[in-house]
Formats: sequence, C-alpha cells, structure tokens
Amino acid sequence: MAFGISTMAKHNGEETVIAHGVRVEGEFNSEGNVVIEGDVQGIIRTAGDLRIGDASKITADVTAANAVIAGEVRGNITIAGKLELLATSKIIGDVAAETISVMAGSQINGRITMDGTAGRKAMKREEPEPEVE
Amino acid sequence: MYLYVYDESVQGQRFERELALIETRLTDLGISGKIARLALFRDAEELIKDEIRRGTQTVVAVGNDQTLRKVMDAVADPSVVIAIIPLGQGNNIAEILGVPQGVAACDVLSARLVEELDLGSVNGMRFLHMVTAEGVQPACTFEGNYTLRPDTRSSLMIRNLAQSADFGAANPTDGKLEFIMKTPRRSWLIKKIEAVTNVPFAHLQIRSDDLITLQVDGEKLEGNDFDIKVLPRQIRIVTGKDRKYV
Repeated sequence: MAFGISTMAKHNGEETVIAHGVRVEGEFNSEGNVVIEGDVQGIIRTAGDLRIGDASKITADVTAANAVIAGEVRGNITIAGKLELLATSKIIGDVAAETISVMAGSQINGRITMDGTAGRKAMKREEPEPEVE
Repeated sequence: MYLYVYDESVQGQRFERELALIETRLTDLGISGKIARLALFRDAEELIKDEIRRGTQTVVAVGNDQTLRKVMDAVADPSVVIAIIPLGQGNNIAEILGVPQGVAACDVLSARLVEELDLGSVNGMRFLHMVTAEGVQPACTFEGNYTLRPDTRSSLMIRNLAQSADFGAANPTDGKLEFIMKTPRRSWLIKKIEAVTNVPFAHLQIRSDDLITLQVDGEKLEGNDFDIKVLPRQIRIVTGKDRKYV
C-alpha cells in the first residue's frame, strides 16, 4: 500500500505535519503525533505516534511511541511499541522496537533489537526526573 | 460600569436605527453605560484608558474586527472585560466568538459568558485572530530547537482564534499558536496542489533575506525578522453559546 499524501495530509491542531517540499534541521521534539512528508536532518523525538511518508528523507536518530515508515531513514530508530516498515521504506541504522512488521520490499541495513527495553528506556528519558528531597 | 466604544464607521445614517434599537435593548437589560464615539483625530487609546481609570470594568467595541482591535490595544489591564457588538462588514472575530450581529448581541453581552483567551504577539504587537503572509520563503525556528524552510515561496498563517473548513478550529485557550504553511507542488496530473505543514508552537522566530509583509489581524507589519509568541490567558472577553473555536 502506498503511503501517499491523501492519507498523510489529514491533520488536526494536535498533530504536527511537515509537508513535502519542506526541510527541517535541528532537534525536533513533539508531545503529540507527527507526520513527516518532507526532509529532516538532526533528531526526531515524539511522545506520540510518528508517520514518515514515502518521499521523505530522514537523516536523524528517531524516537517515538509507535511508527509507520514508508520513506528513507539514515539513523537509529527506537520505538517503544510497534514499528511498521512499509514496502518503500529504507532503513540505514539500528532498529529497536517491541513489535516490528516488515512488508516485502522494505530494506533494513542495521541491527534489530526486539527485547522491548530499548524503546521503553528511550521514552522514559523524555519524562522529567521526579525531584527527590 | 460599561463603556461602549462606537467606531467611526457606525456613526453614519446607515446604522442610526440599529444603534437606537441597541441602546434601548441595553437599557432594558440594565447594562447601559457611557458612550465614546471614535473620530479620525480622537485617540482611542487615551479615551479608553481614561475611562478605565475612572472605574470602567467592561469595554464594548461597537463596530467590527478593527474596532475590537483598537479596544484590545487600549485595554492593558487583564481584569477589564472586553466585548463586541458587531455592526456592518468585517466581523470575522465576532462570528467565531459566537456573537450575532446588531441588537441580538445585547443578549449575549447580558448573559456575560466571559472566557480568558490567549493572544499572540509579533514583535510586541498583540493579535487575537491570525497573522498571514503570501509568497514568502523564510527560515522558521521553533522553540529555539529546530528550523524549518520551504523549498519554494509559500503562504503562511499563524492562527490563535480561527475556524476553517480546511484546517479545523484554532483553540485560543490551549496556550499554543498554530503555524500553517502552504507550499505549492507541481504534479503531472493536477496543475497545482499545495502541501500543508502544520506545527503547534509557543515561540517562533522568522528570518528572511527578503522583506516580508505580515497582516496582523488586518494590520500591515513589514520586516525581515519577527519574534512570535503566545501570551497565555491575556484577555477576558464575552463569548456566545455558539462560539466556534472549540
């Protein structure tokens, strides 16, 4: 199934959408769901779900609760829950997730870890440490 | 104590009858007050500030979005309640706030459903509704963390209070503004389509080599660098039951 604009462009005020034709550089942090159709260089970190479109080129370490990837990611991917790699996806980097679904045609060049701890640890790091007196 | 600020645009014969009906209804509801009539060379800000110093607690703009803007600029004290009685054209904000045109607005005013709303600020210039710009290609830095650039000239909107079939409502009580950028894309099948970027944010810096003209709630602001931020819960405003932002 193609991961095209028609499904990606639906959004509401709570969701961050980076459209095709837009480049992002830096430390991209979000509390909500994120849809990326453009290009990103740096770091992507969200407490919500992440969708990366088929035209996207990402050069970044990626951390999210759940993710669906159809584009190219150069960097390590750490997902607390489920990661879906669609047929057009190309991953160059290590992948850690609790559950992984890989469609035929997807390319993964890296180490895959599925012990369920890496993703949870990464998400925990997002939460502020409780103050101890 | 109520102060009613009549815009210059509603003081002609066209609105004479409607204003008489409004004044009668306000008296019936027990919320009549002092009337200040704006004129070309009368400083609205000084006039309103003087009345607030004398104890006015509610300032009502009688006119359109521009009248409301003049009132908002003058009311710095967040304890003072702002309201609008919309008359004539250019009343987008009143519509979103659920305030009907003309004499029907008096009942909404009397019901006094007061909400604390966020404002936006561009280089210190406050806005309630939205900021727009056309044909721009700036670098937009969000929260000081990441920078977003469109590949081609795009149109942008920064929304605080808005309704829209395309982008949904912008909620002015969430402590965030909403950045929307429409970037044109070429397609073989369709001549022109637009890709939409949407980012909720609290602080945004816009930098551009070219001069940019922003429309800030209908007022022009030119420059190359803009600092835009949300000012949470800055004004208290009377809204109707049919408000459209939530």
